[in-house]
Amino acid sequence: MSDKILKKDQAASFLAELAQKRDLHAPALAGGRLVWAPLEPGQEPLWQFNNTALSPKEFFFPQTECMMRFTNAQDHEEGMVMHSEPELARERALVNMRPCDAKAFGVLDLIFCQDEMTDDPYWRDKREKSLIIALACNDPCPTCFCTSMNCGPHSEAGADVLLIDLGDKLLAKGVSDQGEAAIAALPAATDDDLAAAAEAKQMAEAAIITTVEMDQINERGLMELYEAGHWDRTQESCLNCGTCTFCCPTCHCFDIQDETQGPAGRRVRNWDYCMSYLFTLHGSGHNPRGSKKDRVRQRFMHKFKYIPVKRGGEIGCVGCGRCVQLCPVNIDVREVVRDMNA
Amino acid sequence: MDNQAIAQGIREAAQRLLAEGLVDCVLGYEAGTVPMRERPFFAYTPEEALRLTWSGFCCNNLANFLIRRPQGETGKVAVVAQGCVSRNIVGLIKEHQLSREQVHVIGVASPGMLDRDKVQAAVGADKVISAAHEEGDELLVEGPGWQERLERKKVMRDNCYTCVQRNPVIHNELIGEESEPTHGGVIDKVAAPWEKLDPSERLAAFGENYQDCIRCYACRDACPLCYCHVCFVDEAKPQWCGKTQDEADVLTYHLLRAFHCAGRCTDCGACESACPQGIKVRRLTGKIEKDVREFYGYAPGLDEESVPPLSVHKPDDPQGFIK
Amino acid sequence: MSSNESFEPRIAAFFCNWCTYGGADLAGVSRLQYPPNIRAIRIPCTGRLSPTFVLQAFRQGADGVWISGCHPGDCHYIEGNLYARRRFTVLKSLLEYVGLEPGRLHFSWISSAEATKFQQTVIEVTEAVKALGPSKFLRKEIGMVA
Repeated sequence: MSDKILKKDQAASFLAELAQKRDLHAPALAGGRLVWAPLEPGQEPLWQFNNTALSPKEFFFPQTECMMRFTNAQDHEEGMVMHSEPELARERALVNMRPCDAKAFGVLDLIFCQDEMTDDPYWRDKREKSLIIALACNDPCPTCFCTSMNCGPHSEAGADVLLIDLGDKLLAKGVSDQGEAAIAALPAATDDDLAAAAEAKQMAEAAIITTVEMDQINERGLMELYEAGHWDRTQESCLNCGTCTFCCPTCHCFDIQDETQGPAGRRVRNWDYCMSYLFTLHGSGHNPRGSKKDRVRQRFMHKFKYIPVKRGGEIGCVGCGRCVQLCPVNIDVREVVRDMNA
Repeated sequence: MDNQAIAQGIREAAQRLLAEGLVDCVLGYEAGTVPMRERPFFAYTPEEALRLTWSGFCCNNLANFLIRRPQGETGKVAVVAQGCVSRNIVGLIKEHQLSREQVHVIGVASPGMLDRDKVQAAVGADKVISAAHEEGDELLVEGPGWQERLERKKVMRDNCYTCVQRNPVIHNELIGEESEPTHGGVIDKVAAPWEKLDPSERLAAFGENYQDCIRCYACRDACPLCYCHVCFVDEAKPQWCGKTQDEADVLTYHLLRAFHCAGRCTDCGACESACPQGIKVRRLTGKIEKDVREFYGYAPGLDEESVPPLSVHKPDDPQGFIK
Repeated sequence: MSSNESFEPRIAAFFCNWCTYGGADLAGVSRLQYPPNIRAIRIPCTGRLSPTFVLQAFRQGADGVWISGCHPGDCHYIEGNLYARRRFTVLKSLLEYVGLEPGRLHFSWISSAEATKFQQTVIEVTEAVKALGPSKFLRKEIGMVA
């Protein structure tokens, strides 16, 4: 039995222990906004909060990431000298991550690290050096629909440890080996604790008020979904901005550029987004996704059809609801999925 | 007239226009799926027109959609327009993006739109808001097991306090009555807050203002002035602005975008309402428009005749700084 | 100011083809001496100068920018410099509002006959920029390998 108990008043010292070999980060309030911020050793993290405005994907997939540097050196026999970027110097623990965000990184693992040939060292380095301590969600937001997306308020996928808030204490579940080791020294949970956790889970799942169905989407052929009539209306008010993509925990597209200054240069990758005209623009001037409708359709088809087809049924959405809250024109992904499934 | 009555007026006007075939489409607002977020809605039939609504959370600038319509749609459109939106329509006509005959303006006096971030901050960042209703000068905010009344004028968008034109400058029909023309705030006092700073402190203030920018370009894409087919940030040869989160790149984007709005920005606030990070985007456009008023005595979109200030010149234009 | 004495600024100088570029030419053939800190960039008219160019210069490491064209009334294209004048007025005010030090961005009207004014202005611009030291404004730094 790996379920343990962590009293909240002992959480700070538990985390201080972790901080000896890891940098800690946790959600915090800054200027009225919920953001991820460094957690000082000895400081107690927030236990009650809604989703952070942006997903924590920045920890594994920074918006701007230097991949390598190069120097033009004519006196060197190779002419151009390449330098790899240093790896993450210190391990870290991401404390109180929402289960939906943790799940998203599990999905992204399938994409960044597919096989021997497709194995992103930048993603892998940061993933392997991060301990994810998820905090189950007991008060979901009205925009949450995780239970419809292979996920849930108490989902364990993608996390190393799952904490469940039981009032003045937390039930700590070891999910991975790394997670088990991190909580090994904590006292074991009693049957009452487990019962309380099970009840909390049931109540949290019942509190998810919106659900969407995917059965027809799974059933239908790709072209049928692609050519469906609703896309004309879905795309109408879209501004083609990157808000939904950039706040999304599972969106992961990027653009790689070389920047040079004199003899030195660096290769950087930056978040990119399929809503942008530039994203698919060819050097010839041709754009395979030339209209707004093409681009809007791409985002939803990718999440709800292409990824499930290619990644064994995993969905490219975890139902965190951020895009629903932040889209400047309130294009609601739940409505889009319902239209696709109708 | 209260919001419900205005919404009813908008619906009736839209139904009539669509039923009589006078327009192909009515561009208005419908209730969003989350509180405090009314959203743009395109009504093509009298039945669809029933979905149109009106409230203090109609924060998108619908003039934006007059220039971003799908190719091939060229018929006449009706659009719900408050003061600033009508000024942008005038601007688009001046810039030959639109002809007056193509658009039927359903004018509505703006009540001063509300800022959902301010409402959230007022009730507490950790509270879940399930509904917000306007009741006269108050906003009734509700969540699971709680209610709070806020003074409407304390949660208005920044730009609405200093609005100089709440009533539409052009309209084919007006729903409700005209209101007081302004909200009373003096724009010149707040338009350029960094002027008060010592020059050596300004760069830091500028950087700090935009430090949370994620370059989603929602500010640009929500703006009815930004209709370039290819924006300068997307140009690749030459690349005027890098793609990274380096401060130099982020600030170059914001500076140039603001400059491109010079003499055109109606201070509608759509950029700030669209920003997912709550950035005060108007710090730059506010300064430029203040300068344009001071140097050239011009405010955009107030009439159909005057020429935009950067498309014209006078022999005695100020030039004290030129050697 | 003493700390900047050994500092040699790089100044991007945009000259209109018809007047200031000619003035620079005349200064050259007249063997007038001036500091070597400017990098002259010939443009057809100051009206062609997009504000983007100015930002690009600062981004790429210029310590100062100087724009010079025909006197009002003398524009080869009749009014290009008059449109430019309005644009520069707004641009200069905006850049100084966000923290560009006054003295980094200069404008002048210099005709092709005004070689002495050209010489004087180069000296003035160089001294002003030199006094301010290296510019950090919008400067893009990609970093080097240690």
